[in-house]
Amino acid sequence: MHGSVPDPQKSREALLAILQSAPPAPVERRLPGWAVLKRRTGLARGAGGYGLVILLMAAFLLLLLSIAGLMFGSVHIEAGTAVSILLNAVTGDWLISPTWREVHETIILQTRVPRVLLAGCVGATLAVTGMTIQAIVRNPLAGPSILGVSSGAATGAVIVMRWGLLGLGAFTLHISAFLGALATLGIVFWVARTGGQMTPTRLVLAGIAMSSVLSALTSLLVLTSPDPQLASRVLFWTLGGFGSAQWKLLPLPAIALLAGLVIALLQARRLNLLMAGDESAVALGLDVHRFRQAMFVLAAALTGITVSVAGVIGFVGLIMPHIVRFMVGADHRRALPAVALMGASFTIGADLVARTIISPLELPVGIITALVGGPFFIWLLRRDAKGQGSAK
Amino acid sequence: MTAGSGALRLDGVSFAVGERCLVEDVSLEVRPGEMLGLLGPNGAGKSTLLRTIYRMNRPSAGTVEVDGENVWQKPAAWVARRVGAVLQDMPGDFPLTVRDVVAMGRSAHKKILEPDTEYDHALIDAAIALLDLEAFETRAFRTLSGGERQRALVARALVQQPSLLVLDEPTNHLDIYHQLHLLQFVRELGITVVAALHDLNLAAMFCDRLCVLNEGRIAAIGTPDAVLTPDLLSEVYRIEASVGVHPKRGTVWVVPG
Repeated sequence: MHGSVPDPQKSREALLAILQSAPPAPVERRLPGWAVLKRRTGLARGAGGYGLVILLMAAFLLLLLSIAGLMFGSVHIEAGTAVSILLNAVTGDWLISPTWREVHETIILQTRVPRVLLAGCVGATLAVTGMTIQAIVRNPLAGPSILGVSSGAATGAVIVMRWGLLGLGAFTLHISAFLGALATLGIVFWVARTGGQMTPTRLVLAGIAMSSVLSALTSLLVLTSPDPQLASRVLFWTLGGFGSAQWKLLPLPAIALLAGLVIALLQARRLNLLMAGDESAVALGLDVHRFRQAMFVLAAALTGITVSVAGVIGFVGLIMPHIVRFMVGADHRRALPAVALMGASFTIGADLVARTIISPLELPVGIITALVGGPFFIWLLRRDAKGQGSAK
Repeated sequence: MTAGSGALRLDGVSFAVGERCLVEDVSLEVRPGEMLGLLGPNGAGKSTLLRTIYRMNRPSAGTVEVDGENVWQKPAAWVARRVGAVLQDMPGDFPLTVRDVVAMGRSAHKKILEPDTEYDHALIDAAIALLDLEAFETRAFRTLSGGERQRALVARALVQQPSLLVLDEPTNHLDIYHQLHLLQFVRELGITVVAALHDLNLAAMFCDRLCVLNEGRIAAIGTPDAVLTPDLLSEVYRIEASVGVHPKRGTVWVVPG
């Protein structure tokens, strides 16, 4: 096709023959070799072919930050001790005999392990949710907090607390947070789509407007409440934190993360198609409307659950997908596992900073993520503006 | 391997947005292997009509049949395995590489969780090579020129292994060299092609039959020399034109004035 190629017919027939060939008959199943495995998993392709290496590095980073998360706090515990306590708790006394103070064991096992796990689960879930939302609204500037979805979940939770509605049992809070998130996402999407085309600007502006309305609504609910304690409890939802971490709080966010990641990975190919725009996605065989609705519900459920256990933690779902796409490319089959690892690392790191920077006091973790994420978002906007200026 | 024969049949297709009828009562048939050029002035409804074929626009009346099946009664993936659409452009919000974009064409053939096989990679490699995109394979799609993007979208449609290729103004980003080569290329694929075109002479050179749309209705359909007459051009395009014969090819030749 190109003028500079001397012989454009070089192997046209051969290439066309390949395109028109039938798929090979299914062969006997055997374990594929490493080269085949690498190719099949897509690890050998895209972003320089370092997919697996980057994934391993991300996992290593997560491990380091998790150990740091066990070490630091109001009481400092050596890394060796922290890991020994953990191993001892898992394997029993036969491997490592206890040489540490009992209070350290209690701190590690009852406070810090659940806290690190909760931070990791929430961060990973937020990052996966952010990546999913960015694909379904086809906008890399979107995220659960930017679009007001987190605020919607918080408002849902506050409504339940304000009137003490517990009709749905133990999960009332989570369900109302989910419903708040779903309603907000629906409204923002509907507003941004009015008039056919959905532009990034409209979407972000609609999200900001919804956030403002929802935080005003939350304040109104708090200020008119007869319960003087409500304000301090609601503050938790608006700034986010893992201070309430306990073992019994962990199953729900862990299940949410696992389910969310598995569902998103199962749909990774379809999420890829959404990045190409609705018209391309339809032409490539995706039932866009139905798929988007299903993914909306997933994103809202994940946001609702994270907000109900850890409050609004902004920017994780916005910035992690960008960093990951830069490292492993935009293909969701590679990017989703990486973004889960990176999201977990980010919140564990942010939580570490939040509870050590003014120790023994604690900052809400949402402050740290906003201080890191806000400037990053502004930088993205600047970069996008420049890119568009030169491209057109 | 292509699924189906690529026969296309539109029966009384209309498409309306609110009160406005963009396409009205269009019936036509395209035989397997035939190349049909869709002509008409801006806003005549060419893209709108093509969208009803690849399942983007649901007709407000009438049916679109591919291989004898109504596309709206089949899953989207069923249609995508038979109909490849080359769109005018694709939004570049995400840093997808050219290979990522081409590989998307395989989606409709894949089951859930089924990885890309050696076969898929061979198809993708072949399409990339055929459209001379090797140099851009790992480049971000959004950084390519209009013409290069268009070629990537052709490659994406090819790995769908369609028996019917729908092209929406495929030449509008291309220089004359690439226009000629693209049309020659799709012509030689041997599958059914429906292409919306602006250049009357190129359409006459490459298409078996032409269909002229005007205000959403078929103004004329038939072989190029039957369709491209001074009367029709003055009625549809509101231009005065002389119609002659191409000195070398013998095809019909239109010159304004």
